[in-house]
Amino acid sequence: MSFQVINGGIFTTVQDLGRYGYAHLGITSSGAMDEYAYKWALKLLGDKNTNALEILLGGLILKAQADTTIALTGADLNFQINAKPAKLWQSINIKKGDALSFGSQKSGMRAYLAVKGGFDTPYVKGSYATTIREGIGGQLKSGDLLAYKSVEKQVTRRAKQEYIPQYTDSLTLRLVLGYQDHYFSDTQKEQFFASEYTLTQDMSRMGYKLSGPAIEPKSAQLISEGIAFGAVQIPKDGQPIVLLKERQTIGGYPKIGSILPQDCFKLSQMPIGSTIKFEPYYV
Amino acid sequence: MQIKTASIDSLILYFKEEINEEVLEEVLSTYEALKKFPHIIDLTPSYSSILIHYDTHFYTHTSIQKSIESYLKTYKHNKVTKNTKTIEIPVDYSKGLDLQRVAEFHKLSIEEVIQLHSSTSYRVYAIGFMVGFAYLAKVQSAIATPRLDTPRAKVPKGSVAIADNQSAIYPSDSAGGWNILGFTEFDNFEEFEVGDIVRFIAL
Repeated sequence: MSFQVINGGIFTTVQDLGRYGYAHLGITSSGAMDEYAYKWALKLLGDKNTNALEILLGGLILKAQADTTIALTGADLNFQINAKPAKLWQSINIKKGDALSFGSQKSGMRAYLAVKGGFDTPYVKGSYATTIREGIGGQLKSGDLLAYKSVEKQVTRRAKQEYIPQYTDSLTLRLVLGYQDHYFSDTQKEQFFASEYTLTQDMSRMGYKLSGPAIEPKSAQLISEGIAFGAVQIPKDGQPIVLLKERQTIGGYPKIGSILPQDCFKLSQMPIGSTIKFEPYYV
Repeated sequence: MQIKTASIDSLILYFKEEINEEVLEEVLSTYEALKKFPHIIDLTPSYSSILIHYDTHFYTHTSIQKSIESYLKTYKHNKVTKNTKTIEIPVDYSKGLDLQRVAEFHKLSIEEVIQLHSSTSYRVYAIGFMVGFAYLAKVQSAIATPRLDTPRAKVPKGSVAIADNQSAIYPSDSAGGWNILGFTEFDNFEEFEVGDIVRFIAL
């Protein structure tokens, strides 16, 4: 049994926690941009190690071909079942023929839709994560079928209110200094931590580019090296780029340090134009 | 060797900041040793560094530094080097779009460029940019040529190319500014590992 994709939406992919152990081959981890919301979607179904759809900004329409249980977490994208508003952050039993649709964005950027037992999609090198540029999986499009196993009605589980995040358009990201932090003078670092940056439209699963007061490393190039999740790269123009789940495995731009994963998850829910600040996080 | 923080759950080991075989060998033997170090999620070796992504269920930031330092110290005394594999790449140089440019740049004949490119034994210094894109060095200085001023929108998969003193084979179609010297049918890009020896065989 499957979900029939009526409309693939703006950018919808299958994700999980990512593909690890292959960075030495140049294979990126990929995986859910907001692991917090992703993990909750699975938890609400009592699942582990399955997968979910990462839905960027809505537009997606699915039709269920069999009864099952789903959970939707993350961004509020006007989720509806059979044209009636449906609840987020809880499990929902759905019936054969039900239409699941996503309208325009109300808050957050990415929603996670999990189905009991997971979607039956290709498992490549230990992961269901889609990485389009590596030819692993693709973007959902109309006519696709997303297979799942039909299940009996489940007991409804809800996330307590205190666990449901409020997505905002301003955030302070905690940064662990490291890598080439010595390429930046104390004055430059002070300026970096005191400044406000804006999220530009140059945002993708690879990374988010910010704009604001430029800071300049003492050298603009270095020998290419491994890039950690959340690394903040400062290229020649002095504008920081936060490198996220689909970053390249190596790169040669100076990095001042890396953002905590939890803050990267929050960042991935922020719209263009959001205000970002950085603060040092000492380990 | 120097250990530096990379993120909340990763460290980076830095070796001498140079691109040469001596440093590469040091990266390789340390990389081999670290493969046996427990609770590591990913290792990314490159020209003169190794990024270590570790499992925070098992280490704190300080404990991993200490464990790795002492582990590598013991390891140095009974160093095991990995057998490096050699990969031969058959190249059709008649399809080299930039052979003429490289030849003119160095005032050489096309035959000389082909001869210089295919008579060198290269090492894989890093893998990245895309899956299976192996950075090979060193291209003989007699043919080392800067990137094109305007990158091509599409470099076809299998293109054998050089940029300065590095060579590479495009594992899939991609934009790129390297000088294309030839073309190969080779299609096993996931075989490449840092340290491998690569030879180009002119068809």
